[in-house]
Amino acid sequence: MDISFNIGGEAGQGIDTIGDLLTQVFVQAGFYTFTIKDFESRIRGGYNFTQIRVSDKPVHTSVDQVDVIIALSRDAVVNQRERLAESGVIIFDNAVEFDDLEACHYPAPLEKIAKEIGGDTRMMNAAALGAVLSILNFPFRLAQEALMGIFGRKGEKVVASNVNVAKTLYDMTKENFAGTCKYNLETLESGPCKDRLLITGNRALALGAIAANLKWISAYPMSPSTSLFQDVISYSQQFKIGALQTEDEISSLAMAIGASYAGARSMVATSGGGFALMVEALGFAAMVEVPVVIYNAQRPGPSTGLPTRTEQSDLLFMGFASQGEFPRIMLAPKDPLEAFDVATRAFNLAEKYQVPVMILGDQYFADSVMNVPRIDVSTVTVDRGKLAKTGPSPEFKRYLFTDDGVSPRAFPGDEGKTIVSAGNVHREDGHITEDATIRNLMVQKFMNKIPRILADLNPPQLYGDKKAETTLMTWGSTWGAANEAMELLAEKGVSINQLHFCDVFPLRTEKLRETFKKSKRVIAVEQNATSQFAALIRMETGLGVNQHINKYDGRAMTPGWIIGKLKEGGVV
Amino acid sequence: MLEGPQKITWCTGCGNFGILAALKKAIIEIDQPLHNMVLTSGIGCSSKIPHYIGGMNSFHTLHGRPIPYATGVHLANTDLKVLVHTGDGDCLAEGLGHFIHAARRNVNLAVFIHNNGVNGLTKGQYSPSAPRGYVSNTSPPPPGAPMDPVSPTALAIVAGATFVARGFSGDQKSLVTLMKEAINHTGFAVVDILQPCVTWNRLLTWKYYNEHTYSLQENGHDVTDRQRALEIAMKNEDRYPVGIFYHSKHADLAAGLALPEKSKLRDHTNELKDVQKIIDDLML
Repeated sequence: MDISFNIGGEAGQGIDTIGDLLTQVFVQAGFYTFTIKDFESRIRGGYNFTQIRVSDKPVHTSVDQVDVIIALSRDAVVNQRERLAESGVIIFDNAVEFDDLEACHYPAPLEKIAKEIGGDTRMMNAAALGAVLSILNFPFRLAQEALMGIFGRKGEKVVASNVNVAKTLYDMTKENFAGTCKYNLETLESGPCKDRLLITGNRALALGAIAANLKWISAYPMSPSTSLFQDVISYSQQFKIGALQTEDEISSLAMAIGASYAGARSMVATSGGGFALMVEALGFAAMVEVPVVIYNAQRPGPSTGLPTRTEQSDLLFMGFASQGEFPRIMLAPKDPLEAFDVATRAFNLAEKYQVPVMILGDQYFADSVMNVPRIDVSTVTVDRGKLAKTGPSPEFKRYLFTDDGVSPRAFPGDEGKTIVSAGNVHREDGHITEDATIRNLMVQKFMNKIPRILADLNPPQLYGDKKAETTLMTWGSTWGAANEAMELLAEKGVSINQLHFCDVFPLRTEKLRETFKKSKRVIAVEQNATSQFAALIRMETGLGVNQHINKYDGRAMTPGWIIGKLKEGGVV
Repeated sequence: MLEGPQKITWCTGCGNFGILAALKKAIIEIDQPLHNMVLTSGIGCSSKIPHYIGGMNSFHTLHGRPIPYATGVHLANTDLKVLVHTGDGDCLAEGLGHFIHAARRNVNLAVFIHNNGVNGLTKGQYSPSAPRGYVSNTSPPPPGAPMDPVSPTALAIVAGATFVARGFSGDQKSLVTLMKEAINHTGFAVVDILQPCVTWNRLLTWKYYNEHTYSLQENGHDVTDRQRALEIAMKNEDRYPVGIFYHSKHADLAAGLALPEKSKLRDHTNELKDVQKIIDDLML
């Protein structure tokens, strides 16, 4: 079983709620789900959709073909019709004027029933759920359980009304629509999936950060990063986390660095345009060796670009932002499950090496929802790196030259120590200097960190046949689409594997060199126009990829799209 | 005590010497544990002050940005007294937005603006506080500086600062008092300090300030009268009132954030079991 639902309509019509309901029904019934959100930069109107894929096998990407379209507006039919599978179904609210019906399409009285039976047009969501489940012949009992789970907290009355509305549509659909749809999930009891944590990339990062003892976050709202900031703020009272919406991103990162200098684990969240404003502070953090975590949920640029869409085009910008030279770490989680782990690692790496750590997500990663196994936080460790011994030490030098380039930290407020930090070149005691010898030692101190950082980063993962002729090379969120494309092709006998990077900078090269040596053809698959990661690899190793697959329309990659490009390129 | 770790690079006769002397005196007279004070600064002659005073924690940051950095330091550990030394070029040009928002937040910082009407370290261009018509490398005559100056005191009062004063580097006694009051004040405290740049500014000199300043307090100003304080601050004439313009009590930023009640952010721990509970509650 592998069904995709596309729920489309105007912003503000509640398509997210219908999506959430459907997803929860299927997760509770034991299926794997993967949901993407495609929306415009506007508050009301326009055309948005949520696409949910449900499968009895793990899924990490959306696909091109849609089996069921739930349309709350005319655009939701028109824009998706071509993607409808053969014998697919379009359910649309019969309040929408639409004279272009096809046999399989079902005009359902969603709004009418919500109003008449539920007494509230908002129950259109439950109505749509009833219609969809009926079309699939899905046992209503499971829907009822899901509705109880979702609305249970709002009281019996709300549950009962929603169940009534859903049931009315369910029965009505059965009467008028029986047998026209190829899907029949009547015998479906429950699927094999036990993963019951439905979570987005942003939320997983937020929870990871809190588990890693985040104590300060400052940000300026910017899509698609904002939900992370909002999540942390929503938990800030409970955990006592300092959180402030600042006047701009310059101030966000400055405050976070200030808080970290004073001893609190800190982060900022933004997108590329906001990061542009943070660049001077990034260099400052590096110069004063104050750890900080910077999350960039990337979107297509330059400038405002496509504010609510996805791209991986800030890699080189982030890798080389700021004047001067210094170590930095860049991590790009592939999905929500990996995000939690990446967040906790990011804070430890930042404090261990006293460098900025940047997490690169993108809109696809940030907003995608999937169900993952319960995250067990008991394995989270907090490593604050080298700390100075407590107690008075008049000779304390915050920037002591050490073999590994890392000096023990102390914080203002620590009795008997003076903490002096400056953005100028400075002596071991932190006071500024123009001395050439000290300048050299300071730069060498920075560079001495890099080999140790590299040893602490994870090598890339190789998926599929180790000896395959063709290698798809990916980083970050495009893992899912490429992974499925690779598996589909491998099943058909194509000799293909996938080399995937989460830790993208500094670059670990052993496994990369090995794979480049073995593979006859390495193909960079990137959500940008210039294969930035491939360029980084060439710069670091001299190794070039053989082909490029690039997507830069702001829309998510799919396995089908990648396979299509491979066909165009003569690979398969 | 407080002996500077580095040789001072300010020009002979610089107004900053008076500010440094007053700062040392204020810190000694306040008599609080030095490890609980942090001296932050931006960029410029003013902002080199952390290197000329010993035994103090310091954070010498970026041009225009000391206030946001200081805000982070303060909120991570509210036991700290956080001072900001900044210049007119620093605070009123690149940093003006931060200055206004910090005043609006009433964040508990003591901000000392070394105000001399020029960008000194970049060799004498006019700063945002230079009077209209001021002639410099970047404001040649006619007409000299083609705009009115920024008034840090007026902006601070309007934006919501709860302690607003003006001092003069040449009037040590009152400057020390103003600094102590600013440091002890809970909320956003600003002291605009008149300070001649002896190298670049031929207009705003020691002699000029000695002749053109007068004491507000000696003239019976009511520091709780915000309207009157603003009127005085907005007077754009060649006589400079010195002293406290405005002083009030108001909830500071820290009071409105989710900070730990009995400890500090830097020492506080998020309980993993609570994170686990959130995760478990999210499970379907």
